[in-house]
Amino acid sequence: MSNAPRYIRPPRLFLALLLALSAWAQDPRRIVEESQRRTRSGSQMYEGDLQVVDARRRVSQKRWRYRRMGSYGDSKALLRFTAPPDVKGVALLVVNHPDRASDQWMWTPAIGRDRRIALQDRSTRFFGTDFSFEDLEERDVDQFDFTLLGAETIDGALCWKIESRPRKKSQYTSSHLWIRQDNYVPARLDNFIKDEVVRRLFYRQVERIQEIWTARELDMTDLRRNSRTILRLEKVRYNVPLQEEEFTVQALRREQ
Amino acid sequence: MILLKLISWPYARKHLLRATLTTVGIVLGVAVFVGIHLANGSVLAAFNRTVDRIAGKAQLQITAGEPGFDEEVLERVQALPEVGVAVPAIEAPVETGLKGQGNLLILGVDMTGDRSLRDYDLEGEGEQEEVVEDPLVFLAQPDSLIVTREFASRNGLRIDSRLSLGTMEGPRQFTVRGIMRSEGLGAAFGGNLAVMDIYAAQKVFGRGRRFDRIDVAAAEGVSIADCRRAIQAALGPGFQIEPPSSRGKQFESLLRVYSMLMNVNSLFALFIGVFLIYNSFAIAVTQRRPEIGILRALGATRGQIRALFLGEGALAGLFGSIAGVLAGIVMARVLAGYTTSVMQGVYGVSESAREIEASPGLIAAALAMGMAASLVGAFLPARNAARVDPVQALQKGKYQVLTAGENRARRIAAALLAAGALTPLLFTRSRPAFYMGYVMMALCALLLTPTLALWLARLFRPLLRWIRPVEGALAADSLLQAPRRTSATVAAVMLSLALVIGLAGLARAGYAAIQEWLDTTLNPDLYVSASSNLVTRSYHFPDSMTSELRALEGVEEIQRVRSSRILFRGGVVMLVSLEMESIARRTPRRRPVAGDLAAMHRLAAQGKAVIISESLAQLQNLRMGDILEVAAPRGLLRLPVAGILRDYSDQQGSIFLDRSVYLRWWNDSSADIFRIYLKPGVRAEDLKARILERFAGQRRLFVLLNHEVREYILRLTDQWFGMSYIQLAVAVLVAVLGIVNTLTVSIADRRRELGILRAVGGLAAQIRGTIWMEALAIGLISLALGLGLGAVNLLYDIEMARRDFAGMTLDYRYPFGMALALVPILLGAAWVSALAPAETAVRGSLTEALEYE
Repeated sequence: MSNAPRYIRPPRLFLALLLALSAWAQDPRRIVEESQRRTRSGSQMYEGDLQVVDARRRVSQKRWRYRRMGSYGDSKALLRFTAPPDVKGVALLVVNHPDRASDQWMWTPAIGRDRRIALQDRSTRFFGTDFSFEDLEERDVDQFDFTLLGAETIDGALCWKIESRPRKKSQYTSSHLWIRQDNYVPARLDNFIKDEVVRRLFYRQVERIQEIWTARELDMTDLRRNSRTILRLEKVRYNVPLQEEEFTVQALRREQ
Repeated sequence: MILLKLISWPYARKHLLRATLTTVGIVLGVAVFVGIHLANGSVLAAFNRTVDRIAGKAQLQITAGEPGFDEEVLERVQALPEVGVAVPAIEAPVETGLKGQGNLLILGVDMTGDRSLRDYDLEGEGEQEEVVEDPLVFLAQPDSLIVTREFASRNGLRIDSRLSLGTMEGPRQFTVRGIMRSEGLGAAFGGNLAVMDIYAAQKVFGRGRRFDRIDVAAAEGVSIADCRRAIQAALGPGFQIEPPSSRGKQFESLLRVYSMLMNVNSLFALFIGVFLIYNSFAIAVTQRRPEIGILRALGATRGQIRALFLGEGALAGLFGSIAGVLAGIVMARVLAGYTTSVMQGVYGVSESAREIEASPGLIAAALAMGMAASLVGAFLPARNAARVDPVQALQKGKYQVLTAGENRARRIAAALLAAGALTPLLFTRSRPAFYMGYVMMALCALLLTPTLALWLARLFRPLLRWIRPVEGALAADSLLQAPRRTSATVAAVMLSLALVIGLAGLARAGYAAIQEWLDTTLNPDLYVSASSNLVTRSYHFPDSMTSELRALEGVEEIQRVRSSRILFRGGVVMLVSLEMESIARRTPRRRPVAGDLAAMHRLAAQGKAVIISESLAQLQNLRMGDILEVAAPRGLLRLPVAGILRDYSDQQGSIFLDRSVYLRWWNDSSADIFRIYLKPGVRAEDLKARILERFAGQRRLFVLLNHEVREYILRLTDQWFGMSYIQLAVAVLVAVLGIVNTLTVSIADRRRELGILRAVGGLAAQIRGTIWMEALAIGLISLALGLGLGAVNLLYDIEMARRDFAGMTLDYRYPFGMALALVPILLGAAWVSALAPAETAVRGSLTEALEYE
């Protein structure tokens, strides 16, 4: 470098700025933070189509309506199953808190009562799907240590490959997260127990809906059980006006 | 050892039948001891395994007795940082309606959190495979059920099969949505276990918004003790926080009365065994007296002779004990049935012990017990054998006489023992002193037996002579000349008869007391119960049913009863909530044990006091005015005892309180039984039909007429006292064996005398008659002493029932019926016992008999 002609040498200030910017962009925590910031919205509604393919290739299907109010760490969500008939009307209310675990209630119309779900083991599967309750939680970046492992291409898109290790108790030892460099949308997530990948999630059909990059298909595989769950999001809308009263235990019982 | 081989073995071989029969008492005693401990131990071990399986990884269980507690308690527990996992549970035994399948224990759990505590080990292809095909459907549909593989295969059930179960609303169809492997939880209660959603179970079993218990695992790094302290501090003293194993202890305490009774029986059999051994060895010493004389003349020391007989005793004890252990293992299988039925009564589902497990400790204890009993029995004959004087041995008959000095010493010792026996009965409540007194009473009777037998033989002599002048006189004289020979048999038969009389008297008094209780207390015209036997408490009626019943034509008054077992002072007692004011009005004839009937009900109705059963007062040493502290979900209920009543609904004792108090402290408005009184002129059968029609298809209920309930209770009482018949059989067996032995000795002793009789023209019929008369005389003497001692024994038995068994104060009622029945039975047995010895005497060689002359 020192022998290079002076004119091709970048100005010292520019070089310093470039290095600083690059370092900022390469900070894995910032990348994850930015990814979360870009999907933030005041509310969200969609209709979900859930397909579970078990180890014996048997397929079960369910549909639900989903509404969320608030955003990361301080939100309320209501999920109500609409099909098939034997689960129709079953609803789940989740109240997320920034400083502690979420509160959850479930309504089962056939029994005619609500119940509080005291989730003491977050590794429990979410109602027979391949997602665990922990997988569905909102992830606070402060609860993880991140390491940038490099860059890889997923479905033709260049991604940062970031390793996250939980600071608090988790079923997973670590996770590998791929975030697209072009739009900061997550592309893939591998969850490890010790050195073994146990769950793999692909984010597919990424679309920009109301200026928010949204993966319309979440494809989770439980590699130990050899089963797969595909969640398709339909009729996605952001920032729709919703009322606080719609996210109460009373509303859970009221609405069918 | 050489003496055993050369002297004892040939003798035993010659009298093999007697040697075998001698050990019967030891065999019986050891068998009953081994049987009851094995049965209880095995069922308890199986139950504990089941408790472990059901508890899963739970380290603590939070309970508040059978009534359970409100759901909100769960949130308070889960909020504690010391608690890692806390999951609610409901247990309910239900009738399956499937032939031969008995009840099914339904475990209601919250499947969203429960799997972190319990491993359901569901069926499937892979390790992680779920066969609750859809957990969401399982939770969403209240008819969802997970059954065990064993239950499923027994009944041909598969996923989506339908199964009918008895619910609060009558029989309902359930759907099998999962099958557990027959391991872990699935192996509990022999596979008769099913899991359903707890909230569905609440609805199906009418539990309202209540849980039976909460299973807890401590948070990581928190000790169980710290976790327990934190929960107790948060919930207060109204809750019990115990490790799951404590349930086994509660069950054990319920078995206590039964175990004690069986242990008494086992001791009784051993006691009889001691006498049989004594009797048999006394015969052996008699028969082998010349042999002993020769041995002594040849230089055998007294110690060697004593050791010879004690060695024989030890061997007999060893063989008897081994046979007893084997018989006990067989017996355990039968007795396990009873233990199982106790469990069925308590938990609704029976846990049968598939394997009877004998611990080496138990076997060693049984062998030691049998051998010790045998050695005790052989001790006196061995001592007598050692004291044989070779010269006296030739003076036939001389050694059977009791000297005046010996008689006096016995009487003095007996008087001292009698004083020792009476003292604890009259002056102390100490349990060891009481039982010591009981033993002293038996020893006193034993010491007096030879003297009393002699007196009675003199007394009966004219009677025997009157029946058969020659044979009667000869028989009586034979007894008078050799009181020592007869007294062992008389003592054994006397003791067994005394025990029979005691038990029969107890049964009679108990029966009368229960009859009075039925007459004065259980007087409603109809009972509407959620269970067919008035005992199972898995189903409850909602309070709303009261008005529905009241609206029926012909109903004059309804009393709601809610009974539940709760923990009280470390034991399990029955808590009964009643409408006191109404009960007082309807049961005015009741005789209180303590307190004024009207006042106690008034105070209880005002919520200012409780009434307790006499059994509880006795067992827990409670008196009028004592403050009872009862743990309730709302805290520690403290109320004074305003009255003590006789009540036999629960052996462990009952606490009666007003329904309003129960509602306030337990927040439970349900009822188990409605006691219904009819309007005048209404037929109970008609109202029963109306009730059944009104609730058909809506409610599970059983309507029982007053006489049906009475019959049911008396049937149960009969079963409980049925044991006296077994004792009667043992008593007869003892009598037969003892009399056969005694007569055999008598004939051996009197061979010469009988030979002379025959030589001077005595007819075979006369000889036979003499032996029969002697047997009858032994029978009569034993009867007189046994029935007399029975009267004293009954006094102790009643005291035992009051202090230890059931806390019942029973009136003294001598069982004259049983005593009368015993007369022909025992005399018949005596005559049967005399048949073979009499034939031996008649058919024996005259030459041999007169050889001496």
